[in-house]
Amino acid sequence: MTHSPTTPPMNADVIIVGCGPSGMAAAVELATAGCSVLVMDMQPAPGGQIFRNLEANTRGRNPGSKSVLAALGPSYRAGVALIERFRACKGIDYRSQTTVWEVRPDGTVGWLRGMEAGYVRAPCVLLAHGAMERPAPFPGWTLPGVMTAGAVQTLLKAGNLKPSGNIVLAGTGPLLLLLATQLCHLGVKPALIGRTDNFSHSLKAMRHLRGGGLSPVIKGVGWLARLKAKGVRTVSGLTHLAAEGARKVEAVSFAAGGRRERLPCDLLIVHDGIVPAIDIPNGAGLALQWDQTNASWRPHTTTDGLATPALPPELEPDHCAIRITGDARRIGGADAAMAHGRLAAQAILAEQGKGSGITPQHRKAVRKALSVRPFLDTAFPPGLSASLPDDATIVCRCEELSAGTLRAKIHAGFNNMDALRGETRCGMGPCQGRNCMVSAARLIMEAHNTSGPVPPTFRGRPPIRPLPLGALASLTGLDPRATELLTLEDKPEHDQEDKAHDPAE
Amino acid sequence: MTRQNKTALIIGAGLQGCSIALFLAKAGWKVTLFDKNVAGRHASSVNAGGLRMLLRDWREYPLAQRAMWHWANLDQLVGAAAAKSCEVRLGVSQIALALDEAEMSWAISRAEDMARRNLGQEELLSRDAVRSLLPGVSGRALGGLISRADGHANPAAATRAFREACMAAGAQIVQNCQVQGLAPVGGGGWRVTTPTGNHEGGVLVNCGGAWGADVAAMAGQALPLRTVAPSMMVTARVQPFLGPVVIGIDRPLSFKQSAVGSLVIGGGILGKPCPERDTSFTVMDRMTQSAAATLEAFPALAHAPVLRTWTGLEGATPDGIPFIGPGPGTPDLWHVFGFCGHGFHLSPAVGESVAHSLVSGSLHPMLAPFGCNRFAHGANA
Repeated sequence: MTHSPTTPPMNADVIIVGCGPSGMAAAVELATAGCSVLVMDMQPAPGGQIFRNLEANTRGRNPGSKSVLAALGPSYRAGVALIERFRACKGIDYRSQTTVWEVRPDGTVGWLRGMEAGYVRAPCVLLAHGAMERPAPFPGWTLPGVMTAGAVQTLLKAGNLKPSGNIVLAGTGPLLLLLATQLCHLGVKPALIGRTDNFSHSLKAMRHLRGGGLSPVIKGVGWLARLKAKGVRTVSGLTHLAAEGARKVEAVSFAAGGRRERLPCDLLIVHDGIVPAIDIPNGAGLALQWDQTNASWRPHTTTDGLATPALPPELEPDHCAIRITGDARRIGGADAAMAHGRLAAQAILAEQGKGSGITPQHRKAVRKALSVRPFLDTAFPPGLSASLPDDATIVCRCEELSAGTLRAKIHAGFNNMDALRGETRCGMGPCQGRNCMVSAARLIMEAHNTSGPVPPTFRGRPPIRPLPLGALASLTGLDPRATELLTLEDKPEHDQEDKAHDPAE
Repeated sequence: MTRQNKTALIIGAGLQGCSIALFLAKAGWKVTLFDKNVAGRHASSVNAGGLRMLLRDWREYPLAQRAMWHWANLDQLVGAAAAKSCEVRLGVSQIALALDEAEMSWAISRAEDMARRNLGQEELLSRDAVRSLLPGVSGRALGGLISRADGHANPAAATRAFREACMAAGAQIVQNCQVQGLAPVGGGGWRVTTPTGNHEGGVLVNCGGAWGADVAAMAGQALPLRTVAPSMMVTARVQPFLGPVVIGIDRPLSFKQSAVGSLVIGGGILGKPCPERDTSFTVMDRMTQSAAATLEAFPALAHAPVLRTWTGLEGATPDGIPFIGPGPGTPDLWHVFGFCGHGFHLSPAVGESVAHSLVSGSLHPMLAPFGCNRFAHGANA
């Protein structure tokens, strides 16, 4: 691509998408080295999911803040120092409540704040948009009263709201156990924790224990001990989870230890681990790879986070301006995210001829923080999503499509992702496939009766998040090379045609 | 004689190819379609599905009127169940909205012109009439043109219906099969070369859509065609308020409300075509003008969120109407492509008139304006 004089101006040296641990760590590193950094984040304050609303809760203006802060424990408060440094850094242009709806491999980022929207550009874009909870459709999962563990934590942190009534937690992963502990601390005792993982997973996982990764394991053992002390009933090896109820969840049924059981339930909290959020990389046309261990896609990156465009050559930019860090790149938790954020920042600085370069310490910090992953991956394999849903279960909740409907269409020949989407509208709703995409891909694999190769994702097109017409109509920062109005020009030209060609005359 | 062996090969199994195949198969011909992708993968399935006489080029009028009859009686062509799936909605009307004096005076002269030609489908609308027909329309609207019989259908379902109907009538579709070469056969007819072997037929029809000129080039025929990627977008569902389809005159505006309430917005804004990769890309820097045009007409929609955008690959000719007819000097090689973004509506009549011409051996009079020779040097002399 040649750069004409109309090449749009750059708005910063680096644009960072997301203001969680990795985004903040990278922003601080970059700004300290003299880079101008533009940070865009959907939330009203820095912190990401893990440190959500931490500033307000530590200031304790809300009456509930203190107890919530105590319940959320040291891993939540650990973000205070980073947020303070982030806030204090000159050279960071922090834009809160800003949603990114397009990223292009050339470093263009589409943003929305309220009813204002536009494009900004930088020679480098660092995606630090984090993870999402693994979608796990099961019978009744769309009933009111079924929530994910992450959503409950959001209400705790942002609204100081705690649940009440008969609470059942089901699923797997550290977050499920952490949340149960936090709820107990707040005086909310769950009726049951149903773990899909079992003793043999834990046993197998022990093999992966390394010295450096011990402290998270010790933390986990502490949570389990506290839950036991509180007398919270726990079962493991849970299968066949179903939420039952007419207009909201009233009961939950499951199988465990060879027995079927049904419990009254007001709130079913589910969690099946977290996976990288791929909507931005997918929409940017970046290469994704299937991670079999985690049954999820993740972006294809170098160890320094450099992404790989998967666009036709004629559309590829001179160089890929996108790097990916934190959980958006690879699930590793807050410590790994911060360590990799710093590493990615150094890689960017090196490219721009600044900074001290990537040192062995940077790489060691990432390795150390990630060393517990093999243990966690083995101890908490996907559970609720381990087997594909039965025909009656909804897969695409936006368009209300069941697994049976999708299976029928796949068997009728719509057996690739885009054909299936076009035929059924699966993935065409407001979530743009974030929730159903992985299930649709697995249903196609099921029909092909193979374990691979995994079908590609739905093709992503802008906007990847809803963009009000009014905001789109007044986009700023347009690329002059692209804005020239090209239309079909199919307005009939009755006057000239009349005289020249009318056979009647 | 080639015509007597009643075999046709069709390149491109989109809506036009399947429609021609349907009519030929019903006439007892043996038809084979080749598609380099999945049948109906491109413009056929992803267009706006407009069924309109409104602002139709007068040269397309007879064809378009015949097509309207077919859409109204679609069950006779594709069967009752398939016809129902096509969600044909006629009579909801299409309205061309004039938002300034220039557009209004164009509308007035268009109305006069069409009246003089006795093509009386369009009526001029006053300012008040536009307001009562279009709740929420901008106070700036000065009037417009209406074609009351117009409407829309579901393009993906219609493409599927024609595909299945032509197969039920005996046509064969070979998918994922790229034609590599064309050659006339001694004594009449054509041969196509594909990776899976050669096929011969008495007649060859090029329904190559955006790739139509490439197919013609394989026969040594140069037909002018621009590959374009018209883009569309759709909003979240809003309260149903709009029955007619609204199109712009000098503005990139075209929109309708779907049965579930979402607004489907087109307007001919072009994305980035990438025909070598069988794909295309939306360019939001341009879509902004489509959003602006929509809000000029309906200011209250500013908060309606756009959920998705898409594009499809289409071929556009220099004069805005398609090529439909035999290639220069090749009576048994026909070209049917270059519909310039408004071929969906025409397709049943295209199928019928092309099949009629091939079966009878003489060009259907409705097809006269679409000759492939019209841009050849000296054609207008």
